[in-house]
Amino acid sequence: MPVLSVNRDAHERDTSHKLQCDEQMNLAAVLKETRGLRIDLPPPPDPPRAPQDLTERARYALYEVMDPELPISILDLGLVSDIAADELTGVVSVSLTFTATACPCMDFIKWDVRERLLEDDDICEVEINTVWDPPWTSAKISNRGREILESFGVAL
Amino acid sequence: MTETTKSGFKSAAELPDDLHSHLGILLLSLADNKRMLGIRYSDWILGAPSVEAGIACSAMAQDEWGHGRIIYSMLKDFGHDPAALEHERTSEEYRSSELLDCDVSSWPELLALNFLWDTAISVQVEMLLESCFEPIHYKVRKLLEEERFHFDHGSGWTSRLMTSDEGKNALGKAFATAWNACLRWFGPENDPLIEALVEGGIVSTNADCARMRWLNRVGPTVRDLGLVYTENSEWVSEPAPDWNGWSPVRRRASEGGPDADSLARARGDRNRSLL
Repeated sequence: MPVLSVNRDAHERDTSHKLQCDEQMNLAAVLKETRGLRIDLPPPPDPPRAPQDLTERARYALYEVMDPELPISILDLGLVSDIAADELTGVVSVSLTFTATACPCMDFIKWDVRERLLEDDDICEVEINTVWDPPWTSAKISNRGREILESFGVAL
Repeated sequence: MTETTKSGFKSAAELPDDLHSHLGILLLSLADNKRMLGIRYSDWILGAPSVEAGIACSAMAQDEWGHGRIIYSMLKDFGHDPAALEHERTSEEYRSSELLDCDVSSWPELLALNFLWDTAISVQVEMLLESCFEPIHYKVRKLLEEERFHFDHGSGWTSRLMTSDEGKNALGKAFATAWNACLRWFGPENDPLIEALVEGGIVSTNADCARMRWLNRVGPTVRDLGLVYTENSEWVSEPAPDWNGWSPVRRRASEGGPDADSLARARGDRNRSLL
């Protein structure tokens, strides 16, 4: 079931049909050009307290992995259930959940997570586990994520 | 997390041989039913009574395929090659219900699949909620959460058609045709497969309890179709299950399987060479 819907009130405030179209095209362009990586989002919050800590660094890096369908990071969307790095071997294990079992973007997201993490010279291998319990709900979206979604006219 | 599992089996390899075999049969049956039910839903994305209903069919099809994807992926630990399961089986090797063998020609027939059959499948999945087989235990909550809307959709549309004589007549025929397959899905009383899975803590209740849960779930909505009555506050099926021709391994009618068109779609035959 879709859990997100376009905020009709927000759109109804826009009396210009052209403006709405432009916004949608901009969003589409953003999604197309930045799928998964390097979206021009606000800087990630809470930089690692100890940048040398590989787990924290890996987690922080995932703020740069964007959901392919929504303009927020997978961390803000609440898809990252767990992350743990082995400093000695450079193996990072990431537990991901998805909004729906039929999410068509699962492979994209896993690919992007792996690619981004492997950019870190200290990470040699990325293990990705898919978890379904506890099930994802919109309550997992961060406050920052909610603000970004609202700015795009998406209400929860 | 859900309720604490009993001394859990963390993988299929830890299961005793009989449980391994029985659970493999149940999971393949669930996966095939979800795969084929998704195809039946997809038949109605275009042609449903309203755009809204078509969108609902699209969403339900997607859900069923998502669930099938999850369950099929588990079956490699039960001696199956997932690629072969998806692309190489003959019709007779499918475990999906005879109700799903070919496309249905009317919206009431689709509602029989949506409200009766989909609910029957979900009731069986509910029996795995407290399973001590952890790989399934940690997936079913998500599946059931997504299924809630399927029940609401089927129930809502059924109630809506019940308000007219024409609708009620059409539903009566469609539901009567699907009824026996739904009753049989849970297995006969003392079904050895289900009994063994209950004993092993894999599923929570026996076939009769599951059937009763299904009847209590659908009974109030279909009360005027002559298929159920109440006794001591429980819903009882008017026709008892007819087990003639039932296959305990396929968990469906022993004869038949998906028709040629459905099979080609399920296996992805048309573009097979692109794989």
